[in-house]
Amino acid sequence: MAFIQIKDNQIELDEDGFLMNPDDWNEDLVAYFAKQEEVGEVTENHWKVINYLRDYFKKFGVAPMVRKLCKETGFSLTEIYGLFPSGPGKGACKLAGIPKPTGCV
Amino acid sequence: MGKSPLHMAKEKDVTALGFSMTAEPKQRFQALAKLGQLRQSLRSLVVMLETCTKCGRCAEQCHSYLGTQDYYNFPAARAELLRRVYKRYFTLQGRLFGRFAGAEDFDAETLDKWLTYFYQCNECRRCALFCPFGIDTAEVTIAARHILSELGIIPRFMQGIAANMAKTGNNMGIPEPALRDTVEFMEDELREETGIDIKIPVDKPGSAVLYIPSSADFFTNVDTMLGVAKLFHHLGWNWTISSAMLEAANFGLLFNMDVMKEHNRRMVTAAKALGAQLVVQGECGHGWRAAKMYTAAINGPVPFAIRHIHEVTAECIDELPLNKLPLRATLHDPCNYARAGDLIEQPRKILRAVVQEFVEMTPNREENFCCGGGSGLLMEEMKDIRMQLGRKKAEQIMALGKLDYLVIPCSICKAQIPAVMDHYGVKDLAMGGLMDLVGKALVLK
Repeated sequence: MAFIQIKDNQIELDEDGFLMNPDDWNEDLVAYFAKQEEVGEVTENHWKVINYLRDYFKKFGVAPMVRKLCKETGFSLTEIYGLFPSGPGKGACKLAGIPKPTGCV
Repeated sequence: MGKSPLHMAKEKDVTALGFSMTAEPKQRFQALAKLGQLRQSLRSLVVMLETCTKCGRCAEQCHSYLGTQDYYNFPAARAELLRRVYKRYFTLQGRLFGRFAGAEDFDAETLDKWLTYFYQCNECRRCALFCPFGIDTAEVTIAARHILSELGIIPRFMQGIAANMAKTGNNMGIPEPALRDTVEFMEDELREETGIDIKIPVDKPGSAVLYIPSSADFFTNVDTMLGVAKLFHHLGWNWTISSAMLEAANFGLLFNMDVMKEHNRRMVTAAKALGAQLVVQGECGHGWRAAKMYTAAINGPVPFAIRHIHEVTAECIDELPLNKLPLRATLHDPCNYARAGDLIEQPRKILRAVVQEFVEMTPNREENFCCGGGSGLLMEEMKDIRMQLGRKKAEQIMALGKLDYLVIPCSICKAQIPAVMDHYGVKDLAMGGLMDLVGKALVLK
């Protein structure tokens, strides 16, 4: 369990570097996570995915099915990997501040 | 804790799961007490622990040892980590003669080594096939992980999954409204693809068949679920999935026997509640082993049959209207199908029917190599080790030359093998489940 300082806040992360408490998420964290997951510049396209993930998680308490994420955001899986090199699970979910999908995935 | 890269579950999470953390001074006593209990109840374990001539045959046959070149990953050495302690405290010669009788004290390093090496065994049982005595190192691994868990030493990955299972009835933690949303999306996909209104019923009362997929089929391995939905639609079956039991997997089998029994009990309860006569397990390896081999003994007798989707598909494949897919495909035999599940010829029969060219990898069937992710070693912090564990598998696949599709009909394999092939430089190899191909080959009206 690590704490990082983002502006005036102490944010707690788990051992995989994911946000411990989804309510701690703010837009400043995204830049921090982007560096961790080799994202580079965070563009409109990144935000489209991040916002979709956050909305879905708020509504359903879990990350959306990858195919649905692709369809609703209009990006192919290859494009998602282009935006988030570590993938929809490890990369996009981390930047979106939602828990990493677990299980046989 | 020692050399293992595993992230361990914190005390509050361990407690929430119903376990307690044993304080360090008491760990030795507790571990030996648990080993003593297992000794009373698991005759198979005692046989494994009392037998081994160190012939070394297992070394060449274990992908874990071959991939990591770490002494303790050689099956006989791995089993010795438990065997030496067992001999010291539970056998007369061990108590009297200590080291001379191959016995060893339980010290500060023992638990470290158990955690490190019993979580580098994939419980694939290939060693058992080649051992002249049939010693099954997986049985020793299962026992050691069980003892560790009873001390509160549980990888965070296992704990998180077990917590999700308790809360939602599946490993991914998919709550019912999310499931319904996902099913709606899948039905839309089916309609778009086929023009037909194919349903995926959820909790449909009066169903004769309860289908239990891997929850990963609702996150990444969608085509597996779609393939099954198409097949059941074609067969006109009265079937459903259950929102309370959306998990073919049984992660309890991978770290604690009581949790294993509980997950199995959930399956039995869900099937009984529906009044199903047939439970069909989806593409999940160790889940199939648990369902097929353990149900009757631990939660039986049960008023329903338990079969695998490949069994039922193989039985009807000859009567199905199929357009063979123009693919050169091979089959990876998941350990828990070929060595622990009696599912060897059925996947082959199906695959031969749905693709134009089926090539076998070598070795195959019960001698096939594990993907390296088995027994739930999919956690991120184990990635480097897992890629080493997958080396033999990568070599097998690369030896086949140009391939269009690799059939990997188990969820752990589906998560592990793409990463392994990428790691060893093989890009652009399509891979996925077997039911995925059935769905694509099936001609629907």
